[in-house]
Amino acid sequence: MIVFEGATVSVPGPDGDRRILEPLSVTLAERRIAVIGANGSGKSTLLKLINGLVTPTAGRVLVEGLDTVKAGRAVRQRVGFVFTDPLSQLVMPTGLEDVELSLRARLRNPTERRTTALGVLERFGLAPLAEQSIYDLSGGERQLMALAAVLAVDPRILVADEPTTLLDLRNERRVRRLFSGLDQQLVFTTHDLEFAADSDRVLVIDDGRLVFDGDPRTAIDHYRGLHLDAGKLPGDDR
Amino acid sequence: MRGHGSLLGTYVDGDSLLHRAPLWSKGLGVLLLSTGVLFANRPAVTGAALALVTVGYLVGARLSPIHLWRPLAPVWPMLVILAGYQLIVNGPAAALLLVGNIGTCLLAARLLTLTTEGQRLLDGLVSLAVPFRRLGADPERFGLTLALMTRSVPYLVGSVADVRDAARARGLERNPRALVIPVVIGAVAYAHQTGEALAARGLGEAGPSAAAGASED
Repeated sequence: MIVFEGATVSVPGPDGDRRILEPLSVTLAERRIAVIGANGSGKSTLLKLINGLVTPTAGRVLVEGLDTVKAGRAVRQRVGFVFTDPLSQLVMPTGLEDVELSLRARLRNPTERRTTALGVLERFGLAPLAEQSIYDLSGGERQLMALAAVLAVDPRILVADEPTTLLDLRNERRVRRLFSGLDQQLVFTTHDLEFAADSDRVLVIDDGRLVFDGDPRTAIDHYRGLHLDAGKLPGDDR
Repeated sequence: MRGHGSLLGTYVDGDSLLHRAPLWSKGLGVLLLSTGVLFANRPAVTGAALALVTVGYLVGARLSPIHLWRPLAPVWPMLVILAGYQLIVNGPAAALLLVGNIGTCLLAARLLTLTTEGQRLLDGLVSLAVPFRRLGADPERFGLTLALMTRSVPYLVGSVADVRDAARARGLERNPRALVIPVVIGAVAYAHQTGEALAARGLGEAGPSAAAGASED
């Protein structure tokens, strides 16, 4: 369970502190939660609060009862994070080595580490790509590889920041299928409203504020209404 | 970003003599060969070292000859410029020596990475730093830093190529600012993203600061 208690994020600006996330108090207990909103609305900041990559300037965030500031390391052991661009996430030259890197802290024996890493890649259907350079993989394969590296350590919660944005339709479907089969609680941001509709609950963020929180259909309608006028170009009314 | 090979290459699976050799012996070999040619600075020594490295590729590691050219392909324009300068200033022997020495060092270093799995290399780097633990060094972080350094080279090479193409498309290929500024900004952004991704995975983290990394997305 993830609990936001008045969590606020501000950054210094030329005219004093500027809030990029207004005080947020919400409890996330559903299995699949989508966060939607325009670019620059504060969605990524909200996600980064969950594993302590961003810490609140006021209020607090609790993950399974652990404060993300006081117990950041323990929180990150429970929360896996997938970024939009897998290239910034994959650190090692091949997928296999990257999964092994994830496992280093818990498996000191190199042979055991290799066997476990290969098992993880097998589970995700990525074994044939294990030893390929990450630069030779397609965008979808890289994203799946990044997911495998994160899931290798069995996090209890998976947070994904626009995980399908850079993918073509086929790979987007692969990632979504993989997400739907996960045991972990999943919190993700997306611009794909069909993807958001698959979740149990949707949060709509606008200009740093939570403006709607509820079932996917109503939330998506609310979001569409919010941006119906904002998206008009000059002359659209004519 | 387009795919880019690394100057130092990535591991090529195999069971040759060099694949099976202990990491310390390969590391020592690279060190002796590189320092040897640089300190001797004689054409005969460089020639012998280059021949030895070639034998290492073809016989010791049973790699195809294409591997001998790959690390030199991205740097040959620079080697030609350096050789040209040496040819004019110090004569043909100096030009040959310079190119031969750089080539030997590059090929020797690449032979090590081609025949050593990344995790074994990382383990080796970590164990190199273990004696410094008493002085407060973190061996895991040291190994990870070096691994990241080698991983960043192909990314940056790729970034330069992408920016050059973008500048050419806008007719700005002769404008150094159009080349340098995007590469520098891209490198800083890449470093920031990598650091964030490492922290998210709990690798080599130093702990978050208030609002650090906050963005408006």
